[in-house]
Amino acid sequence: MTQRISKYQRFKMMNPIIQFFKFIYLSLKIMFVVASGHGGTRVEKK
Amino acid sequence: MSKILILGAGISGHVAASHLRRKLSKEHEVVVVSPNSNYQWIPSNIWVGIGRMKSKEILFPLAPLYKKKGIGYKQAKAISFFPEGDKNQPKPYVLSEYVAGDKKGQQEKITYDYLINATGPKLNFEATEGLIPGENRTYSVCTYSHADHAWHGLKALIDEMKTGKKVKILIGTGHGSSTCQGAAFEYILNVEQELRRHKVREMAEITWISNEHKLGDFGMDGMLLSYGSMTLKSYEMVEMIFEDRGIKWILGAGVNKIEDGIAHYENLEGSYKTETYDFAMLIPAFSGHGFKAFDKNENDITEKLFKGFMIVDADYTPKPYEEWSVKDWPETYQNPTYQNIFAPGIAFAPPHAISKPRKSKNGTVISPAPPRTGMPSGITAKLVADNIIDTIKSGKESLSHKGSLGNMGAACIASAGYGLTQGSGVSITTYPIVPDYEKYPNTQGRKLGKTFGEIGLAGHWLKLALHYAFIYKAKMRPFWWLIPE
Repeated sequence: MTQRISKYQRFKMMNPIIQFFKFIYLSLKIMFVVASGHGGTRVEKK
Repeated sequence: MSKILILGAGISGHVAASHLRRKLSKEHEVVVVSPNSNYQWIPSNIWVGIGRMKSKEILFPLAPLYKKKGIGYKQAKAISFFPEGDKNQPKPYVLSEYVAGDKKGQQEKITYDYLINATGPKLNFEATEGLIPGENRTYSVCTYSHADHAWHGLKALIDEMKTGKKVKILIGTGHGSSTCQGAAFEYILNVEQELRRHKVREMAEITWISNEHKLGDFGMDGMLLSYGSMTLKSYEMVEMIFEDRGIKWILGAGVNKIEDGIAHYENLEGSYKTETYDFAMLIPAFSGHGFKAFDKNENDITEKLFKGFMIVDADYTPKPYEEWSVKDWPETYQNPTYQNIFAPGIAFAPPHAISKPRKSKNGTVISPAPPRTGMPSGITAKLVADNIIDTIKSGKESLSHKGSLGNMGAACIASAGYGLTQGSGVSITTYPIVPDYEKYPNTQGRKLGKTFGEIGLAGHWLKLALHYAFIYKAKMRPFWWLIPE
């Protein structure tokens, strides 16, 4: 086992307060990526 | 009045049925044919497989919901397709056989005006000798019953470890052309965390075995992603996680035979090797269901409908990897011969893989098939439903709703451990799913920023929130349609 994630990084990954804001941020960002539309690839949008 | 027949009640079939019923008046008939009596939220099978969720929490019976919503439901399996009808039945139909209830064993010609084939994949365990869930110490988490079984196996192993037994755990893909590496990735991280929770982690050697050429390929040729302020390759991120968790890995492995506690595999160098284990969870190959199709004179026309999976509006011209284009991928999921037949979700035949195809020196294909699970299944099912709705309402064919996997984003919220304060998740979004090298030539075909990764507790909360949101949506509770696919 090699420690690849530092203690500080781990603290940030698991701290509920930091992660609460990260949860809000991720929810919005994911919503933006997946719900911002989709379409074809063969014809350019006019 | 039109009759829309939907084969399958998984994510894709259920999404299509829900939207069709909501938007079409009751004079139009929506009928679902599925051999399964329950709807299951498959992404949460991972948690059933580690005993942190009961299978009843991820499923609900279909019949009462469909009855309440005015959706016809037949618990039956499709056998063969007659898209022109036959000499006695002028309407197109699907020959189906009931699998439960008073009509069990009876066959019926179920007619339709529009057909949505959302039968998903066949879990082709037979493709790997000895790979049978629950036998030879191998398990699966592909269905809730498999996941339940996997938890019993894992629990027994943990009990043995508590008495001092050292064990080997093998998780990954069970065939050279398996897909769905994401599910195995989630499971290995969850198992690792559960062993730590039970204070037996040091008693286990955990190994990832996969047909991927590199870690983090996931059947999508890997990805270049934003990670915090950095830009990482997905293999670097997965390597970091595995090393940090003490998980070993074997790559480029096509598992071809399972014996009790022994996985036989061939690697890309052409060597035949074995790996021993005390507990294994290996994802099988996926295949089509082997349906047959006949014209009105009962001549076999299977090749017009199926190429393993169903043929749709993709470009299936065989060509070398270097000539693959994002434009080869389908946009409307309509069969080119029979334009009232559609195949969204996993039921359509992909034009080619997404990962570069690789063969061993012996000629064995060892590379992942394209993943088309979860969110894209829902999106493609909805757009197919919308096109059928528009066509019925306008009285002329309408295909204005399009959604190529080459112009669609996907989110993969991979659980990396369960627990409200101790859980973790690896959140990855990819845009587009199929890389577009013309639009994004310098970033491996994907848009940075929209393709990103995050690791942490928030990922677990997100996956849990999605679990409840999508089950709420699937149960068609008030305003369910506001939740996107």
